[in-house]
Amino acid sequence: MRARITSYLVTLWVVLTLNFLLPRLLPGDPLAALLDPQSSDYVFDAEVRAALEACYGLDRPLLVQYGAYLRGAVTGDLGQSIRLNEPVGELLTGHLPWTLLLTGSALGLASLVGLLGGAEAAWRRGSAADRLLTAVSVVTSNAPVYFLGMMLLIVFGAELGWFPLAGGRTPFSHYDSIPAATADVVKHLVLPALTLTLSLLGIQFLLVRNNMVAILGEDFMLVARAKGLKPARLKWRHALRNTLLPFVAHLAAQAGLAITGAVFIETLFQYPGMGRLIFEAVGARDYPVIQGVFLLVAIVVLTANLLADWLNTRLDPRLAEEVSR
Amino acid sequence: MSTLSRMSLRIRVRPLRSASAPGVETTLGAVVVVLFALVALAAPLLAPYDPHAFSGQPLERPSPAHPLGTNDAGQDILSELLYGARISLAAGLGAALGTVALGLLVGAIAGYAGGPLDLLLMRLVDVMLTLPRLPFLILLAAFLGSGLVQTMTIISLLFWPATARVIRAQVQSQRQRGYVRMARNFGAGTGYVLRRHILPSIAPLIAFGLVAAAGRAVAMEAGLAFLGLGDPTAKSWGLMMRFALNLPGLLLTDRWLWWLLPPGLCITLLILALSYLGMGLEERWQPRLRRR
Repeated sequence: MRARITSYLVTLWVVLTLNFLLPRLLPGDPLAALLDPQSSDYVFDAEVRAALEACYGLDRPLLVQYGAYLRGAVTGDLGQSIRLNEPVGELLTGHLPWTLLLTGSALGLASLVGLLGGAEAAWRRGSAADRLLTAVSVVTSNAPVYFLGMMLLIVFGAELGWFPLAGGRTPFSHYDSIPAATADVVKHLVLPALTLTLSLLGIQFLLVRNNMVAILGEDFMLVARAKGLKPARLKWRHALRNTLLPFVAHLAAQAGLAITGAVFIETLFQYPGMGRLIFEAVGARDYPVIQGVFLLVAIVVLTANLLADWLNTRLDPRLAEEVSR
Repeated sequence: MSTLSRMSLRIRVRPLRSASAPGVETTLGAVVVVLFALVALAAPLLAPYDPHAFSGQPLERPSPAHPLGTNDAGQDILSELLYGARISLAAGLGAALGTVALGLLVGAIAGYAGGPLDLLLMRLVDVMLTLPRLPFLILLAAFLGSGLVQTMTIISLLFWPATARVIRAQVQSQRQRGYVRMARNFGAGTGYVLRRHILPSIAPLIAFGLVAAAGRAVAMEAGLAFLGLGDPTAKSWGLMMRFALNLPGLLLTDRWLWWLLPPGLCITLLILALSYLGMGLEERWQPRLRRR
């Protein structure tokens, strides 16, 4: 486990360094145009130029800038949003809960349905239901998530009018009670979460189903059957339990996929999470915010990876030995 | 391989699907991809208008003159759709080539060289694979600027690690094989061994690596355009959807039916076709993966 943590720390350092170097290496930095003599936006007044450089610390040696940047990242000082003139850290903490709510509920739902559905489909492999579910899963896991979202939005939002079209809650609303507030948030959550669930579910389902089919053919299943165990016990205790390992191992990758999906879904549904924040920041070329979102999302994904690894070593002690070796 | 072991291999594989006949999905996928490619090539012949020309009033409903109506600038949507196939396929092809070329280069070097270089490159692959992909993509796109070439470069820079890992594993296992070691002992140079022995063994991997990468690249290009990070002048399907969704109250009328749905269906169909084709190729070359 210690080796895993070290490897994640290395990745985190790479993320931090990339985040620092990219704007300094690549063209497109808004400040670069102001300081580049070739550019039409070049600031001719030497004093203004010096003031600009000093303000952003660009006149200092690269290593000193790097040190200041690392210090800022550790203490949560990620700079100031150009568009909103608010500290990036505050913007992030305001948007993160929405994304966690969206991805968390979708991951939970997709995992539950994927596990139970996949197990059931494997149990009845070859049946019409199994073939249909497998075919549908391939489609939903490959179709672009914004297309799934658009379909749900059109059918359940626009045509049937069951759910609101956009936002995380009703604008300018005052809630009399906590249940009323919760109901409003849940109503806005249903379509985005359902979209993300659909796009994650296919992979979960196929993973569980295929692994379970392989396990059902193992010798110990034959022995268990020969012992006369009840089908329910065979299915849930013997087969599904062994399917949990690859399932949990894959959860980390799912977390990354969920974040990707959330960016599109929040853009489509104008949901007030990190995806929406980065989308708006891109439109306004608000670089500190883009970098801040990237950093925070990287940390969230790395933590999810680490958690999944830890869970896996708890489920399968053999892995812990392998890792520590 | 003796006749007996070849037979036993066959017997194990047979009941699943005969090795020579691809599945229905694979054929269908190939047909759809070819159809889209034909449409892209023949777009000037098929499209009733220039997609950039203001050929009608803004927001016209479908009519014989404009079978899918016009967009908010008065441009013909059907023509946009037909020309859009060019952008999607070009982005897919370019990014797939870039991805596989990078993956091949890194994977082959790591697998063939071994030692500390291999370790370093594979650590890099590990780090790249754990990075959250889309936010990194957005960060790169924001700084590199928009344009079709930039989009292809960014996608290639992000997707090569998976290919590199597969290629490396294959190169490494081939390098250890008896016939390769023998060839080297007989004085065969690195170039000769790579060309003569290693390349043929990874050719199938390259083939389905290309198809898989093309699928992801098409999806990503459309995604970037949808988020407003693509080339604003290249009218891709993603950009069409973005413009359609930008119209206030689009979903409250039936306009989405001919403006939003067609590009969405096209991009989904193309991605699905590429995935089915990729899965079919993968199954064919790695029979162990065959679905049970």
